[in-house]
Amino acid sequence: MRLSGRKIRGGSASGKAIVCACPISFLGGIDPLTGKILDEECECKGQSVSGRIFCFPFGKGSTVGSYSLYQLRLNKKAPLAIINSSAEPIVATGAIIAEVPMVDGIDVSLLRTGDRISVNADEGSVDLNVVEKHVVTCIVRNGARILLLQRSNKVGSYRGHWAGVSGFVENGETDETAARREMREEIGREKARLAKHLETQCFRDGEVIWCVHPFLFDVKDRRVRTDWEHQAVEWIDPDEVKRYTTVPGLSSIVSKLL
Amino acid sequence: MTISMHLTAQEERILGGEEGHGRQKAMELLVALGDIYGAGRLIPISSAQISGASFKTIGDAGIRFLEDFSEHAKVSVRASLNPLGMDTKRWKDMGVSSEFRSKQDRIVRAYASLGVEPLYTCTPYLSGNRPRRGQHIAWAESSATVFANSYLGALTNREGGPSALAAAIIGKTAEYGLHLPANRVPRIRIDIEHIPDGLVPLAGYVVGKVSGKRVPYLHGLQLTADEHKAFGAAMAATGAVSMYEFTAPGDKRVVDISTIEEKVCLNGSELRTQADKLKGDESWDLVAIGCPHCSANEIRAMAKYLKHRTPTKDSDVWFCTSRKVHASCPKEVATLRKFGKVLCDTCMVVAPIESMYKRTASDSGKAMVYLPTLGKQRASFRPRTELMEAISR
Repeated sequence: MRLSGRKIRGGSASGKAIVCACPISFLGGIDPLTGKILDEECECKGQSVSGRIFCFPFGKGSTVGSYSLYQLRLNKKAPLAIINSSAEPIVATGAIIAEVPMVDGIDVSLLRTGDRISVNADEGSVDLNVVEKHVVTCIVRNGARILLLQRSNKVGSYRGHWAGVSGFVENGETDETAARREMREEIGREKARLAKHLETQCFRDGEVIWCVHPFLFDVKDRRVRTDWEHQAVEWIDPDEVKRYTTVPGLSSIVSKLL
Repeated sequence: MTISMHLTAQEERILGGEEGHGRQKAMELLVALGDIYGAGRLIPISSAQISGASFKTIGDAGIRFLEDFSEHAKVSVRASLNPLGMDTKRWKDMGVSSEFRSKQDRIVRAYASLGVEPLYTCTPYLSGNRPRRGQHIAWAESSATVFANSYLGALTNREGGPSALAAAIIGKTAEYGLHLPANRVPRIRIDIEHIPDGLVPLAGYVVGKVSGKRVPYLHGLQLTADEHKAFGAAMAATGAVSMYEFTAPGDKRVVDISTIEEKVCLNGSELRTQADKLKGDESWDLVAIGCPHCSANEIRAMAKYLKHRTPTKDSDVWFCTSRKVHASCPKEVATLRKFGKVLCDTCMVVAPIESMYKRTASDSGKAMVYLPTLGKQRASFRPRTELMEAISR
């Protein structure tokens, strides 16, 4: 899959990722002699950033951190490249003076330690060895309630999990066409009013990145005719979504749609 | 999503490395930061002020970078340097180790070879590097930045050390933030009914906290230039913005207040409450004055008060100032010497104070932010007059 961001410092590199969910301070957070992460709060503590594609949301801490990255480089312990969600001046300055390729504007929550990543910083692009799958998720609303469907044991993924009306976007199909097709196939609805359409939301699950195209439809009654893909349906208060075992990202999609 | 700055043909050439490696790196830095902040272009600057001069703050990593960089680059506009970690002449007397001194000397040599003026002060505007109203500059050092924007009417963002250095090398900076008039308009109005004697730095301390990232407007703010220096320094230490707008009582200038989103009143008793919170200990290892560096007027005023008194010697005393101011009032400096050390080139914030003292008193609002963190001190705020009384009888 290719992710597009913005060049902070040019160059290119390929290698294994080390991914931290927390902000990073190069001063005090990383040992300049070994490249090991020292930050107690970081889940990657003890691992080295040296020779890796170092991915973290953004920098924090002392402005001296720019120089610390330079020192890592002199000690031949610098990362191969840096990927940030949003660059701030300390890390950007460090990448430039240490000549480490750097890209920002990438959702690092989609990356995992161990991923093989190619960074082309001049183009601002990041390629990773993970498959992307495009699906639609339709939240169907009637009054104050929304429809959840429990996936049956016959479907290919997330058996027994609760979901909206969902399915793959097929070749040549727009996402709205796919959404209306799934509404017809899964719950027997030809007519529903499209109330909202959000931009694609991506979630990482194992070796797949799910690119979810979220839709909100209003229907006039609660009649539902399901097919083999589902074993149960419920009309729920949207606040209750969190109490269900759902497919990835469903509760965040619901709160963004409503 | 890549939105890039417009560069002139010459700027492109520098970025392409045609004017050497050092200028290329400096240009890369300006362009990357400009892109991060959404700048449209680079604009010429008339001066720079560079932070990151003390070995204590930049460490071995900083030395390595500056030494390497100084082989390839030179500043192209007037650029002066922030305080060091020691007085270049009286470092031993301060209690600085010879190891620290030799590291500090390497930094001094690297900046000298980059062509940076060795003012070693946070008040370059009192030592000859004083921008005029309307000039664009690239200043690091938060206290100088806020003074330049608010009191002198120059235009600068709060630069980091490397970005100020890059700007000095190219002679330009990216046009964003406080370089643009739209970002200099006040968003919050803060009316201070009355500032009790000696609490001007704490007024700045509170204004910084209340304002956060917004430019505050202070109506009827009657302060001397020295008080503005202390007020702004504290404000920039507790707040994220490097500018305030003000009018003095009777000022005929009209400030556009149409952008004000919030109005806050501060009274004298709130400032006294803040002073109590920062009171700290009753006795100290060190009394430190001069954050920002003392002006000649401040040195004269302290000397006048202390002239006919005798030192109590209850604690060490530092009067921190710039080499230039020091040279301009030798008699007064001689008076202060009886009460403590008159230090140049350094201050209590960037000197390795943690290896010398544990409890420090100061009249500086800025120092109340940095002494406990960077200096690992138990810090005590006292108005300057109280400190003068404490060190003399």
